Amino acid sequence: MQNNEELKLALLIALIAMLMMAFFVISFVMYYQKRRFEEEKKINDIEKNYNRLLLDTALNSEETERRRIAQDLHDDIGTMLSLTKLSLNQLSKLVNASENEKQEQIMKKSQSLVEETILHVRRITRDLVPTTLERFGLLEAIEEFIDKLEEDNNLVISFHSNTVEFPRQGQKLELTLYRIMQELVNNAIKHASCSSIEISLEIENEMIGLRVTDNGIGFDPEKIKENNLAGLGLLGIESRLAIVNGTVQYEKPAKGTGSSACARIPVMPMSENKPEPLHPFRREKVNA
Amino acid sequence: MLEIYFSYFKRQPLASIPVFLTLLPLLLIWQRKAYRDNAFLILGIYLMVKFVIDFIMFDWASHKRNTVVLYNFNVPVRYVLSSLIFYQKLETRRFKNWILASIPVFILFSIWDTLHTNPSLADLHNHKMVLYSTTVESLLMLFWVLLYFYNTIRALKIPNLLTYPFFWVCSGLLIYYSSFLFIAPVFHYSSKWEEWLEIGFLTYVPYMFESVSIILFSIGIAQFPDERYAK
Repeated sequence: MQNNEELKLALLIALIAMLMMAFFVISFVMYYQKRRFEEEKKINDIEKNYNRLLLDTALNSEETERRRIAQDLHDDIGTMLSLTKLSLNQLSKLVNASENEKQEQIMKKSQSLVEETILHVRRITRDLVPTTLERFGLLEAIEEFIDKLEEDNNLVISFHSNTVEFPRQGQKLELTLYRIMQELVNNAIKHASCSSIEISLEIENEMIGLRVTDNGIGFDPEKIKENNLAGLGLLGIESRLAIVNGTVQYEKPAKGTGSSACARIPVMPMSENKPEPLHPFRREKVNA
Repeated sequence: MLEIYFSYFKRQPLASIPVFLTLLPLLLIWQRKAYRDNAFLILGIYLMVKFVIDFIMFDWASHKRNTVVLYNFNVPVRYVLSSLIFYQKLETRRFKNWILASIPVFILFSIWDTLHTNPSLADLHNHKMVLYSTTVESLLMLFWVLLYFYNTIRALKIPNLLTYPFFWVCSGLLIYYSSFLFIAPVFHYSSKWEEWLEIGFLTYVPYMFESVSIILFSIGIAQFPDERYAK
């Protein structure tokens, strides 16, 4: 009888121990799994931030380099070309006086070549650094870009915005939107064989939406993603958007052929700090 | 007939509840269409077989017949089905092979154990419960559950275990077999028609934890999101 009681007690202790072990194992698995997920998430966040920082630095360097090249073109080559033009004008007067027809022709050709080169340098400088964007804002910069494109190409480009006065945004955000618009329009011209492009810029619920639609041959965005066919342009757009927490969607327009790309970025109002000067190197040069 | 059942139910509620509680996860598997997942299809078959055997045992017990022969028959069947669930869920080929290898070995072992404890199989009245098989079954099942948990932690594929159906099934099995591990060999001496060993309320412990495990199965199956398992 006493043995039976001892057996029951032993069984009870073993039972409690086993159940405790079972509960411990279940709790441990849940706790450990949760902790490991949190750690993974932290590491992912750090990696994401690091990558974003790298991208940001790379794009900033690119912009700085563009400014430097634009500055050099404007200050050095631009000035030298203006002086060349001035000298040619003086020389032209001398040649005109000599009444040598052949020399006059060569002179005129040289003058027109220099003028053309000055125009090219101006255009390149403007493309490198969108001065209108920094001075007047996104709407004006896009309008200027469209005017220039329509002059050079046989294209119909329309632009509309849901606000008459688009509020100024942070310098980085405005530049990002401008560069994305530039890339999407250039892509449409280069690859889509389109005859018209529609650009729209809207601001709604703390989000800015930029849409570029063309009537060209169109493309399947899913196929491009699946087959890793995205070129540097599309990758560049995604990289720029990643820095400002933006997204991009490629879709087929509701009617007709072509393609449509819509970039959405959270509003980032302009900070009170003055924007970085357009030509940082100029000041250095003047001071020097 | 029903009166006999009710009478037995009143006398042995703890032993009777899990018999009918088995219908709850079965209904949930049907309602949530969880059977489209192979592991839960096997769990459904396991629960159906369990319900049929348990109900026959309930019927025999209410008519005061020895049910141990059914219990002994259920041991290898239960192990085959429950280990096949882990065969479906474990991803490592080596572990799958271990499970497959353990099935015939365990079936042979439980047959030997049944014959060893019951030299005269024809005498159903004095049929005795197996001596080692249930303990070995508990050990093996605990091993598979712990192996699955280990793999889960290592793979880090499930973001929230509480909403993962199979985690609840594993927890149910872990609690049930943990409670059963040490009591199982004692049942050989306590579940007899004559000269049994009296172990008091410990006789009902496996039934209680069987109910707990069935409730945990049900909670797990109820976590199945329709859209995921309708595909």
